[in-house]
Order: sequence, then C-alpha cells, then structure tokens
Amino acid sequence: MLGLALAALGAWTALKLGPAGEVHFSATSKPTGAIVVEPGILNSLNLPVRIKATRGDGGAVWLAAAPSTDAGAVLAKSAVSTVSGVHFPAGTLDLRVSGTGAVHDISTADIWRISSKGAGSAELLVGQGRGPETAVVTSGDATALTIVTVTLTWAQRSWFFEALVAAVIGAIVAAFALNDVSNSRRTARWAHAVRTRRSRVRT
Amino acid sequence: MTRVVRAMALSVVAVVGGSSVAGCGAARAALGIHEAPKANSAVAPLTVGQAERILTRDFTAAQQGKTATGAAAQVALSTAYTGQGLRAAKARVRLAAIQPSAADSPLVAPQKSLLLAVPRGLGYPRVMVAQTVAAKGSPPILHLLTSPDAATPYRISASATMLPLSTVKPFDPLRQGSPLVTDGSALAVSGMELLKAYAAGMAFPAKVVTNPPFAADTKAAQVRAGAAEVAKAVASQASFTRDNKVVPNSVYAVRQANGDALVFGVIERTDSFAVKSGQAINTIANKAFVLLSGKKKVTKSASITTVEFVVFSVPRETGRATLVAASEQVVAGSGS
Repeated sequence: MLGLALAALGAWTALKLGPAGEVHFSATSKPTGAIVVEPGILNSLNLPVRIKATRGDGGAVWLAAAPSTDAGAVLAKSAVSTVSGVHFPAGTLDLRVSGTGAVHDISTADIWRISSKGAGSAELLVGQGRGPETAVVTSGDATALTIVTVTLTWAQRSWFFEALVAAVIGAIVAAFALNDVSNSRRTARWAHAVRTRRSRVRT
Repeated sequence: MTRVVRAMALSVVAVVGGSSVAGCGAARAALGIHEAPKANSAVAPLTVGQAERILTRDFTAAQQGKTATGAAAQVALSTAYTGQGLRAAKARVRLAAIQPSAADSPLVAPQKSLLLAVPRGLGYPRVMVAQTVAAKGSPPILHLLTSPDAATPYRISASATMLPLSTVKPFDPLRQGSPLVTDGSALAVSGMELLKAYAAGMAFPAKVVTNPPFAADTKAAQVRAGAAEVAKAVASQASFTRDNKVVPNSVYAVRQANGDALVFGVIERTDSFAVKSGQAINTIANKAFVLLSGKKKVTKSASITTVEFVVFSVPRETGRATLVAASEQVVAGSGS
C-alpha cells in the first residue's frame, strides 16, 4: 500500500510539474488598488519567482520589486490586495484586501530594484538574495487598477526528477511487497496442505 | 489476525502518518521553503546598477535644463535638482546670458559621472555622493544627491568644484553602502558646528573665530578679501555688511572607510548695502544684480544673496576639517 501510494503520488506530481518542474499559482483581484506580494511569499524559496500580471481590459500594467520597508512606505494606506498564501495542488493564491486610499503614481520613486511594464500584461522575474522584498502591481500611474490576474511561478527542474524517483521507488517497493504477499500466501497454502495430509495419515 | 491483515493495517497507518508529516514540516523542508529573510541594515538599499541609472537620469536632466528653454528647462531642472541645488541651478540658467562660463559651472555641466558612495541601511534621508569631470579637464566636481523619503527620487542638492590638490578619501564598497554620520561626537567636530564656525569666519565686518575647527583655506581668504574690497569701493556711498547663515537641513556627513567623514553643507550669504543719505548708486555694472532685482539704481538699500556649497573632509577623532570643494552662485538680488 505504501509503495503504491508513493508511486501514485510521485507520478501525479511529476505530471503536475512537467519536465520543467514548474508550479503555478494564480488569483484574480477585483477590488480597486495595487496588488502586493510580500516577502513571506516572494522570498520563501531560494528560487527566482516569475510574476505575471494580466489586465482584462488591456490597459497598462506595471510590476516592480523593492525592499519591503520602502514598498510599504510608498503604499502607506493605499488600497491593496496582498497575496497572503498559496495552495498546492489547487494552484490558487489567497488575497487579503486592506487600505482604502487611492494608489498614487509610485513608479517614479527610486526604490524599485527591478521593474517591468506592458500593455495588457507584464512579467517580472524576481531573484533572491536581496530580501526581504515586496513586489507591487499597479497601472504605472495614478490610474485605478481593477480586475487583474496575478500568477506566481516557481521552477526547479530537480522537482520533476525527484517526483519521478519517488514514483520509481514506490513502484519497486510495491512490487517487492506484492511478491512478498504472494509468497506468504503460497507458503500458507503449502503448510495447510501438509497439515491436512498428516492428519489423514494419523487417522 | 493473519500476517497479511497485519501488513495491510501497518501500511495504512504508515501512509496516513507519512502523509500527515509530509503535509507539514517535512514537505516544506524538502522543498526548501523557509521564512523570509530579515532586513539587513548593514548593506546598501539599492544596487550599484540602480544608483548609476539614477546618476545618469539626474545628470542628463541637468544638461537638458541647461540647453532647453522655457517650461521644458524648468521641468528638467526640477527633475535633476532639489533644494538649494535647484535654487542655484535655476539662477545659473537665468544668469547664463551674462555669465558665459555656464558650461563650466558645477551646477549645470556634469559630463562623466563616477559614483563614490551610496547609502547604507533603510532609514531616510538617503544620500549618494558622485564625482563628475568635465570633458575639458577642469577640476572634478563633487555632487550630493538626496532622497528625503521613499516616494521622492534622488536629486542633486549640492555641487561643488574640488580645490586644487584636494582629494577625497575612499568610501566603503558600494555594495555595502556608506552611512550618514548623525552623531556629531563621532567626528572631531559635528557637521553643523563646523559649518556655523566657517560661516561666521566669512562675515563682514570680520569676526574672529577662536580655535576654528577648520584649517585655513584660500577660498575663504578670497571671499574675505572680496568683501573688504567691496566695502572699500562703496564706502563713500554706502555701508556694506555680509552675513552668512547655514541653510537648515543642508548639512550631511557621509562616513568614509577610515572613519572620517565627507561633510556637505550650504551657506547662504547675504551682502547688504545701506545707501547713505542723499546718495544714489548706479548698479548697471553689476549685471547679475540688475537682472535679478530689475534695479539699475538704488537710493536706500540693496542686497545680494549667494548660496555657497562647501565640502569638508572631517577627521574622525582629532584635528581640523579641511575644505575639499567649494562653489557659489548668486541667486537673488533686491534694491530700493
């Protein structure tokens, strides 16, 4: 049972991750305001995080990352949707809404280590090593940002191979276990037959 | 219970138990999930690449402010400069027609920039120190760029031409950043005390500064000699006084690698003329005054305001500060 479970889990995980070992999490923010990915999510793995933000209306999207204290200072009491959790294997993100103030044009500040902008969507690859950092999604000016889908992607090729290894080990364990069970049943039947013959001879 | 049933029961327990453990800490550890790192106040809050982009942006805008006209020039200058730096740059551009050496001015003409220091830690204000060298081989110019808060970009707040034979000691590595020295006791003299003493020493009539915290320099001597000449030239028509005040919030001390500090400061100099009764002074010869005040003749009083950007090297423990760079710009004039 353990071997079968491990084999099934490993195979399913390998299929889910794909050969690139990618795991995606998405959520759509509907309230007006910026979207924020805090360091508890952004810097939780020693891997680059690819962030993609897409607007349904095709408007401008601006993505940037800065030291958390600076990003928090410029957003102050602005309305934001904060990514507060990720769910695997569901592939979803939790969003926590806070603040009510309008989002100003924060793109002119000199705090942003990296940034990206685009029409309709934008992507940003946030590396590790300078955390804690916060990623922010806005329209790039003071224009309100409403329905936006944000996707976080982590990729590690070794995750795919580890899942494959787990599947193979599980399959091997299951095969040995089945063989062992089969042998046990055969031995039990043989012993039962011997006992039966001896009792007939005595009578 | 047979052996087979026992094995199955143990397997179920193992699967359930293993899944529970995997769902908690073991899976997180296996995947490398960890807490977010704590903020490190011992490194620069921006990368060298970021800092260099900021320098390029500001110095490019400074150049545009010099070459553009009208509102575009004002926008460019406001992008490049702040505070007294902006005040001086605007005045320099305004006076460009009568001060043909504008291209050499440290206030508007940086050419090649060299980043000397970036801030350290996450506090504000944050400052950067840069050096530019005009293409003509003129003396290097030191610039102070300041950002008062997270939302406000870095802008040039002070620029001063280095004096002959002066040098700037190295700062900590750019990746590490250089902290501001806010505790005056960490230096032989605090930045504000130094600037106040230096300002007092350039007043006219001259005031004696006992035990000055700065070494004598040719720049101050020239300024004092100039004041005496002006007083002598107008003596028959007006009395002349010169007052120097340190501009509030203009003094920044940036720590260097050996513990010394490079101190930037701005002094506002006011030259006042009290015209004697029955006298009228023709000011046409002073084109800057005429342009700034609109007065070609004064009968009662006149004043000219100049901002002076000074940079000192201040030792860590004992000794006197040394003037490293200085520049000045007439910014205002009035008369009646």
